[in-house]
Amino acid sequence: MITLRGLTKRYGDTVAVDNLTLDVREGRVTGFLGPNGAGKSTTMRMILGLDRPSRGEALIGGRPYAALRHPVREVGALLDAKALHPARSARDHLLAMARSNGIPARRVDEVLETVGLAKVARRRAGGFSLGMYQRLGVAGALLGDPRVLIFDEPVNGLDPDGVRWIRELTRNLADEGRTVFLSSHLMSEMQLTADQLVIIGRGTLLANTSMSEFLANSAATAVRVRGPEPGSIAMLRHRLESHSADPAVRVDVVSDTELVVRGTTVEFVGDVAHALAVRLHELRTMSASLEQAYMELTAESVEYAVPGSTAGANPSPRQEAQV
Amino acid sequence: MSTITSPQRTLGRPRGGGLAGAVASEWTKLWSVRNPWGCVVAGLGLMSVFTYYYAAIARINHKPIQPVANAPVTAVILVQFVVVALAMTMVTNEYANGSVRATLLWVPVRARMLLAKTLVAGGVSFVLGLVLGVLGVAIAWPAFGGHATFGLGEVASQLLKMSAYLALVAVLTVGTAVALRSEASTFAAVFFLLAALPTVLVGIGGEFLTTVNDALPQSAGNHFALGHTDPYPPEVGFCVVLGWAVLAHVVGLTVLRRRDA
Ligand SMILES: Nc1ncnc2c1ncn2[C@@H]1O[C@H](COP(=O)(O)OP(=O)(O)OP(=O)(O)O)[C@@H](O)[C@H]1O
Ligand SMILES: [Mg+2]
Repeated sequence: MITLRGLTKRYGDTVAVDNLTLDVREGRVTGFLGPNGAGKSTTMRMILGLDRPSRGEALIGGRPYAALRHPVREVGALLDAKALHPARSARDHLLAMARSNGIPARRVDEVLETVGLAKVARRRAGGFSLGMYQRLGVAGALLGDPRVLIFDEPVNGLDPDGVRWIRELTRNLADEGRTVFLSSHLMSEMQLTADQLVIIGRGTLLANTSMSEFLANSAATAVRVRGPEPGSIAMLRHRLESHSADPAVRVDVVSDTELVVRGTTVEFVGDVAHALAVRLHELRTMSASLEQAYMELTAESVEYAVPGSTAGANPSPRQEAQV
Repeated sequence: MSTITSPQRTLGRPRGGGLAGAVASEWTKLWSVRNPWGCVVAGLGLMSVFTYYYAAIARINHKPIQPVANAPVTAVILVQFVVVALAMTMVTNEYANGSVRATLLWVPVRARMLLAKTLVAGGVSFVLGLVLGVLGVAIAWPAFGGHATFGLGEVASQLLKMSAYLALVAVLTVGTAVALRSEASTFAAVFFLLAALPTVLVGIGGEFLTTVNDALPQSAGNHFALGHTDPYPPEVGFCVVLGWAVLAHVVGLTVLRRRDA
């Protein structure tokens, strides 16, 4: 488990990470999201003892990283995969890593095999493609068979096959009971991989919740109702708007036979329709995509926005899911 | 490919690591790139040329008879920069390409990481010094043409002292490099201390500046290895060099602990 307590990092006047307090638990993939410059990499560097927090602390299994006896056996990290000596071979790089933590050389060949770099293991790393760098970085993270894994944008530069590989790998690692802390800007990929979400903007915590809860609470999540009789659909609409005590319930009229209801559950809409004996042909939840839910949340904290970008505008529900 | 091969059998129980692991890791990193080999070759070349000319000039100019190892010991004024390059790149390369972060993930205790680099750089420089010293003696002896003395004990003592000096220069360089991080500024600082400043001080001359120069590592090392008893006993010369190396090491460690990687 990774524990952050009041973790803060200042660079001069800028507060890169502001008073983060949260736990990253074992047995799940925790996605770490936030706009560019939000402080994700800085947070990870502090967890790994590379940067000193200005205030607060980051602990791994209750201890600071530097206090771990064999850090490589306890924490696997992939930060900047290209940060290697270009003239050193992949195998020598991992060998130096293994020797620092008393790991046998056989294990080096094993992880090189696992990530598919066995054939180029003795080639200088400087000639690697971005995807090969990432694979070498993953090999390093796996080398010590650690209980905690920290990946900063691991799918950067990977081909679709590699992206899928990372997804399955991180899922498997979490299913084996390990702690997986993973940052990425690829929302669709994150939606497929993560169970838990930690979202920060300008260094502050915006959300720390499960994926399902986060999506359910999005404004883009709505109930769609359709029936054959315009009259009874209008009656349903009237009842939902007037009788609902909750002002959050909003009804959009798509056509005279179709409504989109926000701010409530499919159960509530179904019960109201039943009470009014309205005939329905369709009643379902349209789930927000992670991208939509994320955009809503971070609209105000995007630091480097593109002029005219749609961030912040309420996106229309595209991804739909049957209930 | 998507599953992780069960590593329990290969990994074994946690053991090793610590300082021994850190040293093994630095050793592996050092010899897995071409740079140190380049330094060794440069050292062999510089030593050969310098000692040959030193001995030949002593013979031609009928200089007083001197111990044969004076040739390699004097060559250190140049050869030491081979050791500087070797020790410096062990640190500055890692800052230049960012792999210092990997190093610190493997060995997060700053003092242990610095000590490992110091031991490897110092140890390699000491052995390199001995090898170069023997080569220098072998080349200088015939070139002296009888204008030198050869005593096994004397040669051994001088070469050991010279190698100790080179090891301390390596330690000094590692400390400076960790404090300054960039190759250009590290080389400038070490070159200033070991070569530029002594040249200027000796060039201007005068009692005061000479005294200052005797407190610098270059001339202190020279007094130590050549066995001078003036201006201070050889042992003091050694302590002066050691002091500079320790100072650089402490400054480096302080920066390493305070500054983000
Ligand atoms: N060494 C540093 N000196 C000064 N400012 C820094 C330093 N490192 C990071 N920052 C600043 O801290 C903030 C957070 O940066 P960080 O790299 O952690 O963001 P991030 O969430 O990883 O962004 P991205 O998604 O682009 O990778 C940024 O404003 C950045 O400019
Ligand atoms: Mg980042």
